[in-house]
Amino acid sequence: MTEAATYAPIYPELVLAIGAMALLMFGAFTRETDDNAQLGGWLAIVILAVAAGMILAQPAETVTVFNGAFIVDPFGRFMKLLMLAGSAFAILMSHGYFKRHRALKFELPVLILLGTVGMSMMISAGDFIALYLGVELHSLVSYVLAAIRRDDVRASEAGLKYFVLGALSSGMLLYGASLIYGFTGTTSLAGIAAAIPPGGVPSLGIIIGLVFLLAGMAFKVAAVPFHMWSPDVYEGSPTPITAFFAAAGKVAAVALLTRVVIAGFPNAVAQWQQIIVFAAIGSMLLGAFAAIGQTNLKRLMAYSSIGHVGFMLVGLAAANADGVAGILIYMAIYLAMTLGVFAVILAMRREEGMVEDIYELAGLAQTDLKMAAVLGVLLFSLAGVPPLAGFFAKWYVLAPAVKAGLGWLAIIGVLASVVSAFYYLRIIKIMFFDDPKPAFEKSDAALVFVMGASVIFTLVFVIWPGPSILDAANAAAVTLKF
Amino acid sequence: MIYTAIVFLPLLGALVAGLFGRLIGDRPSELVTTAFLLIAAVLSWVVFVDVALGHNTARVPLMRWVTSGELDTAWALKIDTLTAVMLVVVTTVSSLVHLYSIGYMHEDDSRPRFFAYLSLFTFAMLMLVTSDNLLQMFFGWEGVGLASYLLIGFWYKKPSANAAAIKAFVVNRVGDFGFALGIFGLFYVFKTINLDALFAAAPSAVGKTMNFVGYDIDILTLLCLLLFMGAMGKSAQFLLHTWLPDAMEGPTPVSALIHAATMVTAGVFMVARLSPLFELAPTALQFVTFIGAITAFFAATVGLVQNDIKRVIAYSTCSQLGYMFVACGVGAYGVAIFHLFTHAFFKALLFLGAGSVIHAMHHEQDMRNMGGLAPKIRFTWIMMLIGTLALTGVGIPHLVGFAGFHSKDGIIEAAFAAHTAHNYAFWLLVIAAFMTSFYSWRLIFLTFHGPTRADHHAFDHAHESPPVMLVPLAVLAVGAVLAGAVFTEFFIGHHYKEFWGPALFEAPDNHVMHAMHEVPEWVRWAPFVAMLSGLGLAYLFYIVSPTLPARTAAAFRPLYLFFLNKWYFDELYDFLFVRPASAIGRALWKGVDGAVIDGTIDGTANTVGWATTKVVKLQTGYVFHYAFAMLIGIALVITYFMMKGGI
Amino acid sequence: METGIWEIGIGHYLTVAACLLTLGMFGIFLNRKNVIIILMSVELMLLAVNINLVAFAHFSGDLVGQVFALFILTVAAAETAIGLAIIVVYYRNRGSIAVEDINMMKG
Repeated sequence: MTEAATYAPIYPELVLAIGAMALLMFGAFTRETDDNAQLGGWLAIVILAVAAGMILAQPAETVTVFNGAFIVDPFGRFMKLLMLAGSAFAILMSHGYFKRHRALKFELPVLILLGTVGMSMMISAGDFIALYLGVELHSLVSYVLAAIRRDDVRASEAGLKYFVLGALSSGMLLYGASLIYGFTGTTSLAGIAAAIPPGGVPSLGIIIGLVFLLAGMAFKVAAVPFHMWSPDVYEGSPTPITAFFAAAGKVAAVALLTRVVIAGFPNAVAQWQQIIVFAAIGSMLLGAFAAIGQTNLKRLMAYSSIGHVGFMLVGLAAANADGVAGILIYMAIYLAMTLGVFAVILAMRREEGMVEDIYELAGLAQTDLKMAAVLGVLLFSLAGVPPLAGFFAKWYVLAPAVKAGLGWLAIIGVLASVVSAFYYLRIIKIMFFDDPKPAFEKSDAALVFVMGASVIFTLVFVIWPGPSILDAANAAAVTLKF
Repeated sequence: MIYTAIVFLPLLGALVAGLFGRLIGDRPSELVTTAFLLIAAVLSWVVFVDVALGHNTARVPLMRWVTSGELDTAWALKIDTLTAVMLVVVTTVSSLVHLYSIGYMHEDDSRPRFFAYLSLFTFAMLMLVTSDNLLQMFFGWEGVGLASYLLIGFWYKKPSANAAAIKAFVVNRVGDFGFALGIFGLFYVFKTINLDALFAAAPSAVGKTMNFVGYDIDILTLLCLLLFMGAMGKSAQFLLHTWLPDAMEGPTPVSALIHAATMVTAGVFMVARLSPLFELAPTALQFVTFIGAITAFFAATVGLVQNDIKRVIAYSTCSQLGYMFVACGVGAYGVAIFHLFTHAFFKALLFLGAGSVIHAMHHEQDMRNMGGLAPKIRFTWIMMLIGTLALTGVGIPHLVGFAGFHSKDGIIEAAFAAHTAHNYAFWLLVIAAFMTSFYSWRLIFLTFHGPTRADHHAFDHAHESPPVMLVPLAVLAVGAVLAGAVFTEFFIGHHYKEFWGPALFEAPDNHVMHAMHEVPEWVRWAPFVAMLSGLGLAYLFYIVSPTLPARTAAAFRPLYLFFLNKWYFDELYDFLFVRPASAIGRALWKGVDGAVIDGTIDGTANTVGWATTKVVKLQTGYVFHYAFAMLIGIALVITYFMMKGGI
Repeated sequence: METGIWEIGIGHYLTVAACLLTLGMFGIFLNRKNVIIILMSVELMLLAVNINLVAFAHFSGDLVGQVFALFILTVAAAETAIGLAIIVVYYRNRGSIAVEDINMMKG
């Protein structure tokens, strides 16, 4: 094998990284016009598509490079494809928004590409050092993206809050990593798994390290009680960036958390399971209750996504291949629904500017029936009404949990989803039964495309592509060691 | 591929007409849906020759559907003789009805919607008859129910149409509830709902019992009865029949397609399809026979005195469905499906003919305001005559006859051969045959013969329908004349086993298909005599002495009113269910709404509201509080592990 | 090898690191005045982590921990740069960087 071929598994990441650099050069050496910035966005989408194509072309096997620091396996490839889709759709939806706010900059796609490299590393990380670098690359990009509208006071507040709390969380993550390194003598997940004897009780140092490590990662996925940054950041950030956080960022963080606990601590299941269960209950309940009090749609989506993460954690708490497959399916469906809802939020635009309050949707069914129908379907799906996709998402995480003896956790999940149905249905009621407000302006083609794609996915998931996603998820889940 | 095309062409048509109907216009919508259906019909006949005569059964997997735990079902088309027969019936009648509707509905201003519904219905019906598992059948089952609801209520501005649609929907829910329970039960017992797997597993459950609402009941009997409950609702059998006559509020082509030829026969199809289960549950089969015989008799009595031309045919349908269930109940599934097959032709013919009469009379449906129409609409008259001859089963025993002669007399002979208690089924069916003959000829005489009772304006303007409506009539008439004679040998003749192949199952001790050919001579002639006397009596009543009916009605007034009011079933149900339900509803609304809703629900809502306010208050907006929450989280978890003792 | 009471062992390093970490975390949520102090607190936490890593690496004779520490130093520099930039942007918009004032969005 030649030297170059050894690194074939990281070609997609190389494409992303080199693409980001090239795009930076392109931006730096061309005139700073809207057209050029938009062209940069399209190029970034092309680069993401190329990377996705290369990931698809990779053989379905587990390969490690850099002495196990970087793992390329079907699990990672599944998550990476979702993550790339999230990034690409975020760029696609950003053009109209930033153009209208006179903030179209070529740095945006460059930053998203760099963040995508970071997320890719998070997903593939097999070693704490790689993990940390991936997390930080993504975090640093996210802080900047949140505050990218420099003249907007809310955006800069979002960036500042995100930065402060993110720094705190990476401190925790690192402290946990350092303890685990100290007590196991290695930073690689495989080494850690080998260092904890099966059946035995890990030492207190490892447990405390694990708690800190999980706290850091729970911050990234926004699980209770490490979620508090997300409502503020989601609300303050520019909407396409919020979509990027809610879609791509969530995928990478959940993938990271899943891989670390499953691959790194297979012999400490009893310990991390308790923490995950704790976070899952908190997230599901808080997501349901707090969202009821929201009128800002972006903030509501933040709480909604906290609730959804809670459900994914239920799948993780099952600690078996079915549960992980459930997470993968949930992630795919969540991604589609979230992107669709954010496309609708981005389409809520009147002459005087963007609106984000749910009461601005009043009577939407009379002014724009198609958009009302799209949002209605997505909300029903988010609420988990069969036979829409969202129902299957919940089903495939709750069922393994029941099988794993966590029936009571599933019951809490069902109760939480009943409560959360309330705020989803309230929006539907506002759209269909309240007196109409003035109509929104015509949506961009890109937004209509995203809305259509996501609503079709949600509607026909049970027939297509549900079964094939199911197969892929089941095949991917078993590649993590159990 | 050909199978897939048959099933999905109607769906495609429905989508085109439904989504783009307004875009492409009325006429193209009609043409597209009709053309697709015609193609499907031609393909169906090809399949029929290939599968039923060439014995090429097939299973066409379409896609995986739902997988969760033990429930693993694929969406597949099960193609055997039974399916092939149903495909032919459904697509042929449906395509002719599409064609006919182009003429019948030409004054309506939402035709694309109508044709989309018709095609959608056809698709759902095809899903039902090609189903490979019970889930798929249930989807088709509900699909035809939905399409039927939409079509009955098509003229939604008419309050009676809305009421009829809702009634059909509600009554069918009762049956579907049983059907769904039956499916759940089968899944619970056998861990599968795939038909082939079920049939393979069923013999192992013979004689086993399960606990159901506190009683130990034979599993298969219970499950078959539950499934049959679904069939009773869909096929308008006694006790659940009340929706069918009211469904005549829908446009007449709908009645012909849904409420005569296809959807209402779904129950018969289901029992035949599940014959491997029903054959193992003799008690359930006895019940099927009983309900069928009662329905055949009951509906015929009501049909005697109805005045609405469509209602007469509707009760006739109800009655004929009873015949089919009797055949199923005695184990002669082939005969049941044969009658289903021939009935589809002549009953659709009668409905479409009635539609043509109604069209000619400008939407007059009451036969008392007709009469003497034969010379005005001669073609329709001939078609209706053929339909009546087929329905009443005119034919010469041992020789040949119209379609109904072969199938209906086959059922009567099978009923005799099965030796029910006191031959009750046989006698009820023979009496019903007599009444069938009477009310059918009554319809013909009242509508087409004698002096007219229509006001002269309507009578003068009565006109023959356009060719687009008459061609379907002619095609169906060919079927009504020939279907029996041509196919008897295949469906119920001595080589019926080859024809049906594995599609229908008979228990080893079930010899009714042979015994029916060896009944005494008088049994063969009994329906013939019944038919002739019915004809004679009708001729006497409505041609020779037109005052006789009124005098008879006066003489037997209580009986007449009893029949006219359909055995007072609507009133009974109104008293038993509807009024208590609305009383309970009102009580709930007035009393409970105040106390319980305001108390419990609002209480819950308040609790939720309280929790929401608290949770939202936690989110102060201060970074240091957020950081503090994270620290508390870590501290809590570490403390927990410490307390548990260094786990 | 004899280790006397004044010999500095791994436990001492860990204790110092734990103290630094606690100081850093308290610095983040007790400070209500200036965001810059938060930046300093974050540095304190990272210092604690680095001490941990280097101490573990030294006592186990494994170099990975020290390499990790170098990576952290590098990233921390980048992080601080970005943090300062965001603070500058925020100051331009609000005219204040008091932690108590960062409170526009809540609920």
